[in-house]
Amino acid sequence: MNAINPLTLFFAAIFTNNILLTNFLGLCPFLSISKEKKSAMGMGAAVVFVMASTTILNNLIYYKLLLPLGLEYFRYIVFIVVIAAFVQLVEMMVERFFPPLYYVLGIFLPLITVNCAIFGASLFMVIRGYDLMQSLAYGAGSGIGWWMAIMAVSTIREKLQKSANLPKGLEGPAITLIITGLLSLAFLAFSGMIRVQ
Amino acid sequence: MVSGEEEEGPGMTKQLQSVVYMFLISLFFASLVSAVKYLSEERIASNQAIKLQRIVLKVLDIPVGKNISEDRISSLFTERVKDIQVGEKTLYVGYEEDGRTIKGYAFPVGGPGFWGPIHGMVGVNPEATKLLGIAFTKHSETPGLGGRITEDWFLTQFKGLPIHPIEGDQKIFYLKPAGTTTAANELDAITGATNTSSAVEAFLNKDLDHFLIKLWRSVEDRK
Amino acid sequence: MPNLPQKKEIFLTGLWKDNPVLRQILGICSTLAVTNLMVNTLVMDAGLIFTVCMSSLTVSLLRHYTPMRIRMMVQTLIIASYVIIVDILIKAYLPEISEALGPYVALIITNCIIMGRCEAFARNNPPVASLIDGLGMSVGYSLVLIVIAFVREPLGFGTLMGIRVMSEGFVQWTVMIMAPGAFFTLGILVWIMKYFLPNTKTGEEKT
Repeated sequence: MNAINPLTLFFAAIFTNNILLTNFLGLCPFLSISKEKKSAMGMGAAVVFVMASTTILNNLIYYKLLLPLGLEYFRYIVFIVVIAAFVQLVEMMVERFFPPLYYVLGIFLPLITVNCAIFGASLFMVIRGYDLMQSLAYGAGSGIGWWMAIMAVSTIREKLQKSANLPKGLEGPAITLIITGLLSLAFLAFSGMIRVQ
Repeated sequence: MVSGEEEEGPGMTKQLQSVVYMFLISLFFASLVSAVKYLSEERIASNQAIKLQRIVLKVLDIPVGKNISEDRISSLFTERVKDIQVGEKTLYVGYEEDGRTIKGYAFPVGGPGFWGPIHGMVGVNPEATKLLGIAFTKHSETPGLGGRITEDWFLTQFKGLPIHPIEGDQKIFYLKPAGTTTAANELDAITGATNTSSAVEAFLNKDLDHFLIKLWRSVEDRK
Repeated sequence: MPNLPQKKEIFLTGLWKDNPVLRQILGICSTLAVTNLMVNTLVMDAGLIFTVCMSSLTVSLLRHYTPMRIRMMVQTLIIASYVIIVDILIKAYLPEISEALGPYVALIITNCIIMGRCEAFARNNPPVASLIDGLGMSVGYSLVLIVIAFVREPLGFGTLMGIRVMSEGFVQWTVMIMAPGAFFTLGILVWIMKYFLPNTKTGEEKT
């Protein structure tokens, strides 16, 4: 088990171990959504919520159910099903009880199910042996880190679109990857900031 | 899946069909996966055992040889190493080829790394005055950075390192940036992996000190 | 046979014109994560080829029986099962590599390429064609990863498959081992690809 302070973990997940800029997770929706700030906002918020919740849920299921029964090798299937079911549930609830929110967020929810960051967060949670509080800190922090990354990239892309003259070949995914690379490089500067000891 | 209206009659059967289908498919694949798991279990367990044996032999500086077979590792381990329980911990006692003179002791070490727990094994000489060797068995550090703690150049630095219980704030050893080491107890850290290096320095010092203060007494008593 | 040229066409599309990584921009996560070492790349490639082919084949074989509504759940179940099998096999027969790859084998499940092929091809096409489509896409993916690893490992570590290839005095480009190097290399490759095929749309622009 880990002795890392959940608060430290929270900040580490945002800055030094950013799930997107360091672990490369959650890139596919990232590349298509990051075109405008508004969709980035919506997707980011949804990701934070789903990531935090499912990391906690999966932690409970893994330690209270799968391990005691010796079924931990089914965890991949179980985690994915939990994530899919949770997203489905949230979608239904949001649609029924918060219709205005649904119109902003709703379309992103199905996309989240295949967001490898969400699944990845649960996987890392198991590998690193996080307990409940740590899982919450890690899940929420990773979600926020993802949100920050996508906001930063989408803002830069919007600006580029208006002002820069990009070579034809760079437009679209190529320049997004390079921007993300530069952002990842910048985030490396945070490395000394958090003492995870 | 949409929470819409289903038609009566044929709609109901369709839903039932879906459920039955899902159930059958799940059953089939669950069985397939379980079968593969069952068939590989022994192999995986033996991999773990061989890995442990290989590591213990390595840190005790008992030569294993390059392309040695797994059976050979097992028999070498049985010949040369005995394990004893000291309280909750397992200690490995290594013997010279005569089978009676003690070559050294090996014990597991571990602590939080940068990303996740790091587990390793340390070997000390019979008088517990210096390190025979060290190896890491499990870690989640960044490949190519923190992950380099498993590389030979890093591990061999520890061979022959004098060890003593910690007095005040004088650690047993320090990991300093490569090229800045001056004293005999300063070793090269991993460039670009400051966090992993400090984590290793921290838990390794602590575990060595713990061994010397707490466990060494019991071992000496047994002699 | 009227089908035969078609099959070759299917295979080649996955390699070049519709390359999943450089054209459809799918499966990026694992592409960036494992390509700092060639040996990890090769194992990942093997794992992906197996999973894509088996999944596409299975989905295609079951396509007439699977109810429309639950097809995504069924596909996920199939993919996850094969990935678990691959994971267990690597753990049993290549234990050191299994530790090095860590969670990235499990992440094959969320690799958009597999789900993408099941949805776009396997559920509407016969088994052999689906298998070839899967093979083409996964080999296309593998080739791209090998190229990236070819750049990243020598520049970042000075080795290739663990064997030293750069001269002794070579100062390693540590940035290549880490995240930024991966992003840059892939970005440049996508750019180069677009140069060769300027008029067709990449995956992102299709949405």
